[in-house]
Amino acid sequence: MQVKSKSVVVTGATSGIGFSVCELLLKNRFRVIGVGRSKENCEAARERLIEKYPEGEIVFFYGDMVHQQEVFRVASEIRDYLRKSSGDELHALINNAGCVRSWYMTSNEGYEHQFALNHLAGFILTHELLPCLIRAKGRILFTSSASHKMMRMRWKDLMFEKGYNPLLAYKQSKLCNMLFAYSLNEMYRDKGIAAYGVDPGLVNTSIGNKETGFIVNLVWSIRRRFGVSPDEPAKTYLMLCTVETPPNELYFKFLKPARYSSQVNKENADRLFAISEQLCNIRYER
Amino acid sequence: MYVLITGAAGGLGRAFANECAQRGYDLILTDINESGLKAIKYGLERKYGISVRARACDLTSDASVAELMKYIRKEKIQPDMLLNVAGMDNEGGFIERNITSVLDIVKLNLEATLRITHSVLKERNSTSRFYIVFVSSLASMYPMPLKATYAASKRFLLDFAYALREELKSRNVSVLTLCPGGLATTREAICGITSQGFLGDATTNPIEKVVHNTISLALAGKAIYIPGLLNRSLSTLGKLFPKKLITRLLYIRWSHAQKQWLDMKA
Ligand SMILES: NC(=O)c1ccc[n+]([C@@H]2O[C@H](COP(=O)([O-])OP(=O)(O)OC[C@H]3O[C@@H](n4cnc5c(N)ncnc54)[C@H](OP(=O)(O)O)[C@@H]3O)[C@@H](O)[C@H]2O)c1
Repeated sequence: MQVKSKSVVVTGATSGIGFSVCELLLKNRFRVIGVGRSKENCEAARERLIEKYPEGEIVFFYGDMVHQQEVFRVASEIRDYLRKSSGDELHALINNAGCVRSWYMTSNEGYEHQFALNHLAGFILTHELLPCLIRAKGRILFTSSASHKMMRMRWKDLMFEKGYNPLLAYKQSKLCNMLFAYSLNEMYRDKGIAAYGVDPGLVNTSIGNKETGFIVNLVWSIRRRFGVSPDEPAKTYLMLCTVETPPNELYFKFLKPARYSSQVNKENADRLFAISEQLCNIRYER
Repeated sequence: MYVLITGAAGGLGRAFANECAQRGYDLILTDINESGLKAIKYGLERKYGISVRARACDLTSDASVAELMKYIRKEKIQPDMLLNVAGMDNEGGFIERNITSVLDIVKLNLEATLRITHSVLKERNSTSRFYIVFVSSLASMYPMPLKATYAASKRFLLDFAYALREELKSRNVSVLTLCPGGLATTREAICGITSQGFLGDATTNPIEKVVHNTISLALAGKAIYIPGLLNRSLSTLGKLFPKKLITRLLYIRWSHAQKQWLDMKA
């Protein structure tokens, strides 16, 4: 019997973890909506996926998601597509696009890159796709990281404008992922939504080699060799997309619930949520 | 304090705007890129809950600058500080390049900067101190083969700024020139930095600190700011050796870096 396929949006789908997640989702007959930064990389990724799964349903949308306008545009394109293809329902949103920067760099709005892409882009995309997710009692996944631990939110200087530290800016952005997932559960669990942070472990991808300087490049080139293949963490995403009853835990690593930082609490989550709404000029329905 | 920033939609301009907003200054931003200008205005207003003025302007056009000045008068803005950030860079050998792109450097980095500076000085608040910042570059310290026009344009600004500073001292105007090394503003800029290997990292200045110090030093009445110890040493070193030798060395360095850079882009 042919079951109607469910749609999943994956950001950062052109390489690394996001790409492997797309592969696994296609293999399991999901309709995959990939999001990437550039047209070329999206086309290349699409070709590789189609080659492997000629029957697979896969489309790509692209935009440089550090900039808010681009996120809003991509979101509206995805909504149009969902209306046509999926009865306006979205089974899962995987907020995975992420970056590392060596230096303080800003988006068009003047927001620091790691904060803007790793956190705010997902904050906006989730808002824009929430109605479709609610209709499907969908799941929202974030690629967080064990880096979110041993870190506190730097409320007085969220964008590191008093002195940039690449590692701390990254750690904070991954803590933001956890806090946002926490808020979503608080707010929408009764509507059937479940949100999770995933720790993919150390993964052999090129994240630290893109738009970074000599030192970060060098350190990451060595470090990534100790990482697992992105196919490993992809299994956790598949599990969270397929498991019948959504689990109650917030944080998963290699298929199992894991311990997360005590900084992930209601007070911090509420505070970040309010600031993010302000920075993105959107308001989530309460 | 009312600050006018040119090139405000670019990476360095946005950082300056941020820094000024943090200091509680009022802002009027301008750039030729209208949508970028809208975005930074939006970002600053969301972030600081302030109201920012922004007005697109082509600084290379007399008419466009006249319009900007009309707006400033109409709004009764009297600037206390002018940050001349607008400028452009262009890589490549003189003869290999399209002459229009070479002349564009002169038009924007020099002509336009003089035009806006002249206009704003007329609208300044003459009862209080006025501050001007020119964004030059470490490239102003030596002749630069393969970046000849750019480096010379930055040299022009540096010398001009020193002279203007002297001329206007008695009129309560303070002029500072910023001469940064590499700045990580765009993907392209990052390519330029990484193509120089470790030296790229070492001569790259953290933007957030550069803008902070620039404003502090301008307020303190300093004439020049070269961020970074290594960059300061390089500029001093440049003065110790004959121009011919320095130029030769720079040619070797840039032709190597440029090859790397072109490979990276391909
Ligand atoms: N690798 C690890 O060890 C590790 C560990 C913990 C968490 N993570 C997290 O895993 C996620 C994925 O990273 P990865 O390791 O798989 O790295 P990756 O291979 O570099 O993947 C990042 C993805 O995000 C996209 N992207 C980058 N900048 C973008 C932008 N401005 N707009 C839109 N899309 C953009 C990339 O597109 P392009 O292909 O065009 O660059 C790519 O598809 C990140 O959130 C990262 O923080 C990674």
